Amino acid sequence: MNKRPDETVGVGIESTAVGSTRFATRQIRPRRGGSLLVGRLTEHGRANYQFRTDENASYYVRLLTSRGAKTLWGKDLERALNSGETRPKVGDLIGARRAGRETVTVTARRRVADGRIVAEEAHYAHRTRWIVEKVQFFAERARLARRLRDEQVDVRETVRAHPELKSSFLSVRAAQDFAARRIADPKDRERFLSLMREAMAASIQKGEPLPAVRLRDPLRTEEVSTAKPRPLRPDDPTR
Amino acid sequence: MSAASLPTSHEILADPQASEWLKWALKSAADRDPIDALNDALVLAATLEERLRREFDLR
Repeated sequence: MNKRPDETVGVGIESTAVGSTRFATRQIRPRRGGSLLVGRLTEHGRANYQFRTDENASYYVRLLTSRGAKTLWGKDLERALNSGETRPKVGDLIGARRAGRETVTVTARRRVADGRIVAEEAHYAHRTRWIVEKVQFFAERARLARRLRDEQVDVRETVRAHPELKSSFLSVRAAQDFAARRIADPKDRERFLSLMREAMAASIQKGEPLPAVRLRDPLRTEEVSTAKPRPLRPDDPTR
Repeated sequence: MSAASLPTSHEILADPQASEWLKWALKSAADRDPIDALNDALVLAATLEERLRREFDLR
C-alpha cells in the first residue's frame, strides 16, 4: 500500500492488487485502541478507498493537524461522525480515535483485464471502529475518568453532578462487594479493585459509550435465556 | 488537501467569525519571509496542541 506523505491511513479492510486481479482481503491490526488524533475537520465524505476508481467504496475524513494534513479512511467513519454525541461539522476541532474492530462480511471480486467481474466470494473481515467527536467531548471524558480514578471522591456528590457516571460507580461498588466476599488476601483485593477501576476509567477516557443503568426485566431475562447462541465462526474474535 | 477546503488569507481577514488573534497573526506574518513564517507557525501549532493535550488530559 502506498501512502502519500501527508496522509495517515486507517482502515480495517483493503484491496490488494495481484496482477490484473483485485480482491478484498483482511488486514488485521494488533492495536485495538489508538491514540487520539487531534485536528481541524476540513472535509469528509464517501469515496472509493484512496480516491482510486478500482477500489471499494469507503469514507474519508480530512483533518488539518499541527503536523500537517491527514486523511483517515474507513467505512465506519461515516457512522462515527453522524451518530456520535457531538456530531462535528467542518471547521470544528475534533479528535479521532480507533476504538476497536468488528467482524463484517466482505465480498471479494475477481476481475479480468477489462474490469469485468468473473468471480465473487464472501469473506469475514474485521472493520475498524472509530470514535470521532469534537475535542471538548474528550476533555469532558478525561475529567469524568479522573473522577472515577479518584478513590477519595465523594461518590454521592459526584453522581449528582455527573449522573452519567452512576452506572460506573455502581460497577465499582459491585466489584468491591465481590472482592470483599471472594478475595481473601487484602493485597490481591486492592490490586483487583485498582485494575477494575483503571479499566473503566480508561474506557471512559477513550470515549467509549458510557454504560447505562438498566433495571432487571424478568421477561427480557427469559427471552435471553431461551435464545440459541450463534455458532462460532472461524474468524470470530476470541474476545 | 484540496485548495477549496481552506480559506485564503483575504477571506479570513474579511470573515467576521474569524478570531481577532488569527487576523492579527495573519497580518503580522504578511511582512515576514513565508518560509520563516510557516516554520514558526508549525512550531506554534505543535506547541499549542501539546498545551491542549496537557491541560485537557487528552491521550
